[in-house]
Amino acid sequence: MAGERAAELVRELHRAAGGHLPPFRAEGLRQTLEEMRVLYERNQADVSEAKSGRTDLIFLVRFRHCCLLRNQRCILAYLYDRLLRIRALRWEYGSVLPNTIQFHMSAEEVEWFNRYKKSLATYMRSVGGEEGLDLTQDIKPPKSLYIEVRCLRDYGEFEIDDGTTILLKKNSQHFLPRWKCEQLIRQGVLEHILS
Amino acid sequence: MAAVSSEGTEADSDGGSEELVLTPAQLIRSLEQAWLNEKFAPELLESKPEIVECVVEQLDHMEANLKRAKRGDLKVSVHRMEIERIRYVLSSYLRCRLVKIEKFFPHVLEKEKSRAEGEPSILSPEEFAFAKEYMANTETYLKNVALKHMPPNLQKVSLLKSVPKPNLDSFVFLRVLERQENILVEPETDEQREYTIDLEEGSQHLIRYKTIAPLVASGAVQLI
Amino acid sequence: MSEAYFPVGPGLGLEENFLSLDDILMSQEKLPGRAESTLPPLTFALGQGVSTGDSIPEGSKLEIPLWLAKGLYESKRRIISVELPKIYKEAWRTVFSADASVVDLHKMGPYYYRFGSQLLNFDNPENPEIAQTILQTFISRFRRIMDSSQNAYNEDASALVARLDELERALFRAGQKELNDFQCWEKGQASQITASSLVQNYGKRKFTDMDG
Repeated sequence: MAGERAAELVRELHRAAGGHLPPFRAEGLRQTLEEMRVLYERNQADVSEAKSGRTDLIFLVRFRHCCLLRNQRCILAYLYDRLLRIRALRWEYGSVLPNTIQFHMSAEEVEWFNRYKKSLATYMRSVGGEEGLDLTQDIKPPKSLYIEVRCLRDYGEFEIDDGTTILLKKNSQHFLPRWKCEQLIRQGVLEHILS
Repeated sequence: MAAVSSEGTEADSDGGSEELVLTPAQLIRSLEQAWLNEKFAPELLESKPEIVECVVEQLDHMEANLKRAKRGDLKVSVHRMEIERIRYVLSSYLRCRLVKIEKFFPHVLEKEKSRAEGEPSILSPEEFAFAKEYMANTETYLKNVALKHMPPNLQKVSLLKSVPKPNLDSFVFLRVLERQENILVEPETDEQREYTIDLEEGSQHLIRYKTIAPLVASGAVQLI
Repeated sequence: MSEAYFPVGPGLGLEENFLSLDDILMSQEKLPGRAESTLPPLTFALGQGVSTGDSIPEGSKLEIPLWLAKGLYESKRRIISVELPKIYKEAWRTVFSADASVVDLHKMGPYYYRFGSQLLNFDNPENPEIAQTILQTFISRFRRIMDSSQNAYNEDASALVARLDELERALFRAGQKELNDFQCWEKGQASQITASSLVQNYGKRKFTDMDG
């Protein structure tokens, strides 16, 4: 059935719950575009036939046109939903994505992501005084200035507010300024311990 | 629209003056109001660049004071906490707006384009720049990856038609700040007819956003 | 669930959202139809079920996905007529009005409400009854869904959820999340900063990659 490949792209993406980003299906996209090319060519041929009297072809032309629109919609929805997932990565992961995630993105998606990052950075620099305001921080309302954290993996040296550095070693525990470690917690380097 | 300034600690809003001077406490209250309204309204509300600017100034001012303070002073951590709280509300407010801008970008830009001279903008200049870039980036992407490889009659897609509009019919909770009379409520069923209600000051309601959107804009009600 | 991923949701009522994955999958669902005249060979288009090169005789029964039925319906010449899927027909409407809570809407749907609303796009004399049944069914099932979503904290609700339509499942999940957040807040955990769910997912994968 026409439109089946395109629907499969959508189905696979929909199954990846919670905003997870599955690998980009370049081949599925290529095949769908190829299917569209064939449908369109056949319609071009039949439209001129229909104009010269073959009215029985009108239904077929209409039918193929529906399939073309369907493929177009599926492709755009697939690509657009992936952009929304990629956007979420910037907010939850930070501006540098690990290779494992980048492997799932097409070159054009990486480009979109880089431009998005740039626009966002420009915006965040423009609000909030000299240094700008990092809106990807302060996701939850603050309760205390310092929080207790446990280090989940070896991270290395980390500079805290007053210029001193500490060593973040696996399983070590620290009492740190909340706003310095929010991103490391979201990245899974540190774990916030509630007393 | 009156300008808001965080300068000065006393409220001196003598009726004739153009400039409305807010105390820091009043400033933070107006930020919180804008924040809650933005969080609960389905559409992007008018931008409040004066409030944002003043809060940023206020934060810088507080930071500078802290640097001058003695180490180990108990007041330091109290002030530091205050800064963290204000920064959270400000970030959350601006973040909420960015989410809406990205979600409704073609509609937001369209509204900005058709805005009459003198009418307040829903976007700050920085947000407007961001929205335009987001639109251009997304359009270019879809064109290069898909649309330009499609048959000629399918290469154009209107994002304005494809990206959903905010649902103004959704329900919101509100508290009335200034008494309102004769608010027209549309019927919910075929048997009902439209009717009017009065909103008493301090009362709370659950109502379709569309019905009271102008009151949110004017500040007569607060979304909660 | 990632807190920064905001997918395009399904449309309302008769509308579909062009970019909504949910609406695309909903409109993949099929409805019965009939060829009103002899149809040309649709091999390429319809694929399996129709043998190569043969025309489809008038009166043949067809299974048509909703998107196609909607697209063809716009043309003036009705070459394919559509019928109601049995779950929206009178016999089933009677079942729903007797006790809607016993029906396994997932098996019968799984997009019972959205698909039913979409059927109203076709001028069917039974449309008012269909609309009424859909609404009543929702009203009579809603209470139970809401209650169980508020009680099933840390309990297995899979038996109930298995019988819910997609819209009901979304409501159930929303209710559970609400309850979960509330209980976190009660326990004073609301201010805990946690690792992103996206990071947790990818993180696991990354560590196994490193092991390999």
